[in-house]
Amino acid sequence: MMRAHPIPVRRFAATGSLVMLWAWPVILVLAYVLPFAGVTLWSVTRPEFGFENYVRIFTGADFQAIFLRTFWVCLLSTAITIPIAYLLAYYWVMGGARRSRLIEICIFIPFWISVLVRAFGWVVILRNNGLASDVTNALGFGELSTGRNVWSVITGMVHFMVPFAVLPMASVMRKIDRRVLLAALGLGCRPLGVFWRIYLPMSLPGVCSALAMTFIFSLGFFVTPMILGGGRVVMTAESVFVQMFQTANWGLGAALGVVLLVVVFAILWLSQRVMRIEQLMSR
Amino acid sequence: MQRAIIEPNPTSPADSKAASAAMSGSLPMQHPNSVAAEVRSLCKTYNAGTPRAHEALKDVNLSIRANEFFTLLGPSGCGKTTLLRILGGFEMLTSGVCRIFGEDVSRLPPEARPVNTVFQQYALFPHMTVRRNIAFGLEMLGKPKAEVERTVDRMLDLVHMREYADRRPDTMSGGQRQRVALARALAPQPKLLLLDEPLSALDLKLRQKMRLELKSLQRETGITFVFVTHDQEEALAMSDRVAVISNGRLQQVGTPEDIYEQPQSRFVADFIGESNLVEARVARCIGGEAALDVEGFGQVHAPVAQRVEVGQKVWLSIRPERLVLGAGHSDGQATASIADRTYLGNAVEYHLRAGEHALTARSPRGGLRGRQDFAPGDAVSLGFEPGSIKVLLS
Amino acid sequence: MFGKSRLGGVLAGAAGLFLLLPLVAVIPFSFTPKRFLSMPDGEYSLRHYLAIFDPDTWLASIGTSTLVALLSSVIATALATAFGIGIWLRRPASGRLLIGLVLLPIIVPPVTSAVALYFLLAQIGLLDTIPGLVLSHVVMIVPFSVIAILSALSRLDRNLELAARNLGATQLQSIFRVILPNIRFGLFAAWFVSLVMSWEESSVTLFVSGVNVITLPKRIWDNLRLDLDPAVAAISVIMILATTLVILFRKSEA
Repeated sequence: MMRAHPIPVRRFAATGSLVMLWAWPVILVLAYVLPFAGVTLWSVTRPEFGFENYVRIFTGADFQAIFLRTFWVCLLSTAITIPIAYLLAYYWVMGGARRSRLIEICIFIPFWISVLVRAFGWVVILRNNGLASDVTNALGFGELSTGRNVWSVITGMVHFMVPFAVLPMASVMRKIDRRVLLAALGLGCRPLGVFWRIYLPMSLPGVCSALAMTFIFSLGFFVTPMILGGGRVVMTAESVFVQMFQTANWGLGAALGVVLLVVVFAILWLSQRVMRIEQLMSR
Repeated sequence: MQRAIIEPNPTSPADSKAASAAMSGSLPMQHPNSVAAEVRSLCKTYNAGTPRAHEALKDVNLSIRANEFFTLLGPSGCGKTTLLRILGGFEMLTSGVCRIFGEDVSRLPPEARPVNTVFQQYALFPHMTVRRNIAFGLEMLGKPKAEVERTVDRMLDLVHMREYADRRPDTMSGGQRQRVALARALAPQPKLLLLDEPLSALDLKLRQKMRLELKSLQRETGITFVFVTHDQEEALAMSDRVAVISNGRLQQVGTPEDIYEQPQSRFVADFIGESNLVEARVARCIGGEAALDVEGFGQVHAPVAQRVEVGQKVWLSIRPERLVLGAGHSDGQATASIADRTYLGNAVEYHLRAGEHALTARSPRGGLRGRQDFAPGDAVSLGFEPGSIKVLLS
Repeated sequence: MFGKSRLGGVLAGAAGLFLLLPLVAVIPFSFTPKRFLSMPDGEYSLRHYLAIFDPDTWLASIGTSTLVALLSSVIATALATAFGIGIWLRRPASGRLLIGLVLLPIIVPPVTSAVALYFLLAQIGLLDTIPGLVLSHVVMIVPFSVIAILSALSRLDRNLELAARNLGATQLQSIFRVILPNIRFGLFAAWFVSLVMSWEESSVTLFVSGVNVITLPKRIWDNLRLDLDPAVAAISVIMILATTLVILFRKSEA
């Protein structure tokens, strides 16, 4: 005697989980991937058919300045973010219970707070006549001219990126077997040597993914730079916003979006290749 | 050279017939109702059609009788678990037929089969109490509430877990979880109970206790048990019949005695217990007895059940405990020298070198008369207990 | 252990302070009695906290944000759960590819996602509407839910589903009676993460809404760009306080 009616049962087994699996991917393709194809179409049809927008992007002096600025600002923010994040990740993972908990709180409170609030905090500190100026005034250095410049933007971006960069590093560090470190100590390596020769190389994969992630995130980010730069430090992502909504140049904005995406995927592809090469060499 | 004395073949004809029938699939089933499960020409290939294709089961034919304790035995990765999963419906077979009590279930999902399973790590539902775990299968059958609770109580008593009824699985020991898993699987009164290495997570003492409990549970309930294990001792101790599987193929099916005493292949001889395996060539064969040449060793005589040709290459198998060592050497006997001696508590094991061959002998220490102790370097003569040499063709 | 130099510890402490600095800095500004953003000198006032309750501006935006966040987090969690369980049950050969596709909105620069969603909503006439905004948010936050669900499922014993099926449960029954109850914490995490993500979403929101539908981030954005209303400081303090409480509460629970 069979217990259930096999036919409807099988139908769900075959189609039910299939529907569950494919529901979101299909919606995503319709609501996201296809529209992106539409955006790409915009970039070659608005204002008229042709590659004019791309030509402008790659030859216009204004855009070259923007690209150059984007590159340098993102590179600098990444270069500052990584060591800070490494330090925090290290003490989060390896520090004593108390310190580790404190650092965790320092990482996760900003992590969960709106990027706007965080940028606002920096506005309060860095604007002309802001808190930072008060401090330098009190110390007798005079007025600090910090408002709305590249350094404000970099400060805000670093502050935004650090918690994100900590996570991949910490997850790699957590997997490092502490007995390996003890073994190195036991073999007569000095503590600092253990760090440079054992710990750092073992935590490098986390650094690499943090590096790629930080750079990619900073490329596509426009909220913090727009608030802290106040239109004086225009980068690629911000210029997309400007083209779309301030000059209503949809085709140009779309083309910039496409270029940005291509760059991000190129970096991803490259970083994965680098990691693969690294794995090959370590074997 | 001491002669191996010919004994009547100890295999009971009925068993070997059933075994060979099960293996070849050539005989029609005489009483279909007495067959609990059977597979015919069963093949299972994972990742079929890809470069990673892997044949887990190759042309398996097997009949499991109603009310028996049947064990699938083999090393890990041999396909025994795959076979169990096909019986349970967790895995679709690639070709062949799988029948349970005469009904073709090859395409049925697990929930539509009258089969329950005790999983290796028990797979108890962590979010439910013991009682709800056991009730789950009954609720799925749509049994009335009162009956569910009655059956659950009976099951709790059966496995002596009454006082744990309201505990969660994660607060219990391995042995207790094991019992709950059994009760959960038995509650819906399946026609077939599949057990996937259920004892492997327990420690030795508990494992031995659970063997007895499982065996008596099977007798009490009268449900057909299909038990998967890689532990040959477990298989021999509990089963009515054992199927030895290796490399996706069925090697031999029979009672534990059958499998141990009459191995039909080198694999079975070696996997079940220990065996000394020696290559030999057939010199003569007259009336079921063969004279066999062993290189550097002389000639031995042993019964052969199958047809052999003169000059054919065969293997001889002899259990270490049936190898008899004598002091010194007398004419006409095979000799060996003791390479190493290992004290095992209830026995002493000798590692021997005899020409090209490395052999192992085991003797209960000081127990039997004429069994003396030897030290490494001693020369000894080799004797065989009557009927102890098995001739294997593959 | 090793390598705990005093210098390193001090630097790590400084880095931690750097992360908290802008959050602490806004607190005094929220108590200024003046109309414009300034450091209160001696005199404190709660007038900017009261301004939050203006039903035409801040309160309306809080309402909009709450509605959008609730709707999109529930929808996103449902879709992500279906997807995660589908992957877990079927383990399709294309699984890695599918997960890659679903995580795409995390990797793609938010501004590019925003342009794509702007294009979509312009085509279907949902720009600057609640449904349009919810759809955009769902696209952006499902990846985070999927990550939470997949990590919960990865800790789930596969045999549980087989055991349920084996005991006569259909696949649907095994999902609702066995799988979902066992990943309930993962479900909650997925919902909570997507709720916060939607509540705070700014990049896409700025592109696809802003005239009829004004979320809280959009209103903060406008204030930061135009006149630096101290009410932003008050709102910020409340959000910082809430976040801190949740984090501390969860820590003490664990």
